[in-house]
Amino acid sequence: MGYVISRTGFESVIEKLGQQYRLYAPVRKVGEGRYTDVDVVRYDFVTKFDEIELEAKSDYAFKELLTPLSQTLFFFTENEVKEADFDDRDVIIFLRSCDMHAVKRLDAIYLENKFADPFYERIRKRVKFALIGCAHSYEDCFCVDMGTNRTTEGYLFSIDVAGDEIKSDVACPDVAALFEAADAKAEEVVPAYVTENEVRVTVPEKVPNEIYKHGMWDEYTARCINCGRCNFVCPTCTCYTMQDVFYTDNGKVGERRRVGASCMVDGYTNVAGGGQYRRTNGERMRFKVLHKVYDFRKRFGYDMCVGCGRCDMVCPEYISFANCINKLNDAVNELEGGASK
Amino acid sequence: MTANNPYVPFPSKIKEIIKHTEKEWTFRMQYTGDVKPGQFYEVSVPKYGEAPISVSGIGEDFVDLTIRRVGRVTDEVFKLNAGDTILLRGPYGNGFDTSLYANGEVIVVAGGTGVSPVRGVIEALAHTADAKDKHVIVGFKSPGDMLFRDDLKRWADQLDLILTVDGAPEGYEGNIGLVTKYIPDVPIRDVKNAQAVVVGPPAMMRFSVMGLLQKGFEEKNIWVSQERKMCCGLGKCGHCRIGSTYVCLDGPVFNYVDSKDMID
Amino acid sequence: MARDINTKKLKKNAFRYSKVRGETASRIRIPGGVINAKSMAKIAEVAETYGNGTIFVTNRQGVELPGIALEDMPAVNKAIQSIIDDSGVNQEERDKGYPASGTRNVVACPGSRLCPFGCYDTTEFARKMDKMIFPNNLHVKIAFTGCSNDCGKVRMDDFGIIGMTEPQYDPNRCVGCEQCIKYCNIRSVGALSLVNGKVVRDTDLCIGCGVCVAYCPTRAWTRSKEHYFRLVLLGRTGKKNPRLAEDFIKWADEQSIMDIVKNAYAYVEEYIDPNAYEGKEHIGYIVDRTGFDEFFKWIMKDVKLNDKAEVAHRIYWGGKHYDRSNNLK
Repeated sequence: MGYVISRTGFESVIEKLGQQYRLYAPVRKVGEGRYTDVDVVRYDFVTKFDEIELEAKSDYAFKELLTPLSQTLFFFTENEVKEADFDDRDVIIFLRSCDMHAVKRLDAIYLENKFADPFYERIRKRVKFALIGCAHSYEDCFCVDMGTNRTTEGYLFSIDVAGDEIKSDVACPDVAALFEAADAKAEEVVPAYVTENEVRVTVPEKVPNEIYKHGMWDEYTARCINCGRCNFVCPTCTCYTMQDVFYTDNGKVGERRRVGASCMVDGYTNVAGGGQYRRTNGERMRFKVLHKVYDFRKRFGYDMCVGCGRCDMVCPEYISFANCINKLNDAVNELEGGASK
Repeated sequence: MTANNPYVPFPSKIKEIIKHTEKEWTFRMQYTGDVKPGQFYEVSVPKYGEAPISVSGIGEDFVDLTIRRVGRVTDEVFKLNAGDTILLRGPYGNGFDTSLYANGEVIVVAGGTGVSPVRGVIEALAHTADAKDKHVIVGFKSPGDMLFRDDLKRWADQLDLILTVDGAPEGYEGNIGLVTKYIPDVPIRDVKNAQAVVVGPPAMMRFSVMGLLQKGFEEKNIWVSQERKMCCGLGKCGHCRIGSTYVCLDGPVFNYVDSKDMID
Repeated sequence: MARDINTKKLKKNAFRYSKVRGETASRIRIPGGVINAKSMAKIAEVAETYGNGTIFVTNRQGVELPGIALEDMPAVNKAIQSIIDDSGVNQEERDKGYPASGTRNVVACPGSRLCPFGCYDTTEFARKMDKMIFPNNLHVKIAFTGCSNDCGKVRMDDFGIIGMTEPQYDPNRCVGCEQCIKYCNIRSVGALSLVNGKVVRDTDLCIGCGVCVAYCPTRAWTRSKEHYFRLVLLGRTGKKNPRLAEDFIKWADEQSIMDIVKNAYAYVEEYIDPNAYEGKEHIGYIVDRTGFDEFFKWIMKDVKLNDKAEVAHRIYWGGKHYDRSNNLK
């Protein structure tokens, strides 16, 4: 069922939902961007509708809520291992279609892939979603070619702002009751979605092994500074590193945590004794790109990359992931053409 | 506490410590569950971290973990004595299918600490009926780096063992040379059906496999064990992934047909 | 017609006394170093019409239009009126050009308008300062730079303002990638270290340059809401004792800096040598005479610093003393 509701009406719906759920949404953090007097849009707790940033695309993805950047797993005392507490209240996350598709990728790694991760699972099962409609594509988006531009299920309700009104497709009867109570007008609503992006990508169907030695990666060895920003903003990057510490003031007590990891940053493959794989940034780029548009698909049946374009937005060296996919496709075509001769 | 949390380690008592070298000790850990050679455990030292250690021996009520002292976690483990407790998670990974090597000709090529994961395989070979058709080439950097000296003596009687070192002080009477030097001379009658197991440092593995292929071994009969940064053992942390393969889940033991296409 | 030119008035009106007899140069003031394209076109037009068609770009971000006939000064003053209007420089009488030239153009590096490391809008602050101090005949040099790199070379000025940000750290967003530590070591002072997987900042060593913020991939490091400044004092060039400015306050706020500079003008009015040649005595030499304590008392009058500010109560300057010895052997 769908509703058209006034802004004040919708504000009251959000307020009521806030009593039942913790609401997380993209928020404009004024002055907290990389540079002076530059904002950043990232996910945070909200209580009111006007705290939600619905205009800009978020710089950082929602994934930090499901896979925190730094998450304590255990506390250690002298003789005891204690699992860290967690907030067990229900959560609604406001996100766009590409990110809804990213949830499926996070689940594939953390709930499937042989083992379910209990630390992820206990958060995940409390999380529900609200879909933010996309009335237009943003710079760097390539969701259409990645097939993530549209989401038709998996959300409680959707939001599309149309002037002074909000249009919602409401899937959850409890939420529908809140709309009814706020004098919403019933009307068929289809969440807005993008049908065209300026950025186009062609993902190669099959990537031959010769691509590993292809010269296309050398460019990135020279250009990339292995800062890992692309990984940290990505809604589908899931890697982490374990960190064990003992507190400086009391060495007998400590904790085990996991922190976000990046396959671009030094140390990712270091093994005890000094071994290291993928030393050059070109090799790391290859590892990342192939995972996003090929290796993950080989394991799970669909591509990992959802085409949100955040990696392109954040790269300080103006390296375009989308363009890299296209270069990969060209290289694959060139190799296949060569092989058939 | 979350039920069946795979991240929660279990305590295991150290039954015995066997010191091979100053830096390489085998910790014999109390354990009665299922485990296969080639699998690994995460040795979990609270406040210091975790380290993947492969199973180097299996007994009725124990597993052997041969640990090399190379960092923060292993430094702590080396402070412990028999009777102390170590926290473990695992076993993880697929391990070797030793039934593959029960009958017929087999060659095992192992280098350095790579001997640990195949020690259980060699042990199984030593107890087969046709043990004289089981050929084992074991290489260490120097005589001082040798692991499992007692086992080596025993294996020399039980099967065809070639023990070699990369280099040795003057007067050393054993074999000197890389393991690859000995591969061509191993007497294999039916090379198309012989099985091979190769474990060791990356370069050693690469050249050993080349030697075996030159000798006429079939790719599908060659088995290798890959070592990567296995942080979680659960296919989550991503550090050990190569292409679409998670070494901690799908390996660490791979058929060469698969492993040859795994490029870091 | 006989030339009868008051060179004192000419200089005060921002024209240069030229070595070429009968000629002068018009000195255009560009506080904060930013001028709009229209004014730049006007400058070019004046240079073509009245000057010799060349433009000299000065060290202090002004421009000079040489080759102007002394007779054309009134016409030039009329012609540059639109430039003065656009640049927002205070004026006493329209169409009469600049009312003073003693207090020099206020310099600014590109600052946060362009530079990734700029900690504040240097041009805006420079313009605000210019509004307060100009016109004035006292020979005072003020410069603004966005960060401790000091691309604005503010340590050569009487008052140098260096931008600072106080890095804000959210350990919950830190993944221990150590890039802040790496780049603080490479590009700055090495004030960061990793303790228990999280980053610790040596607040004594930290110069507030913001390099950690720029390189943090997760927004664990962000900039402080407040813009802070390091105020450095009394650097100078010159024939007697050129020297670099020394630190006076760190973590200062904008208002305090405005107040201090204003107070400094009053101090100079009070203590400048009445017999100074052409009424010109650099403030640093006045402080050399009165002692720093007296200077401190004057400039800090009614200044309300924030709690974070650290003030040096004694400053020693070094530099080259040509007036004492100039023997290199």
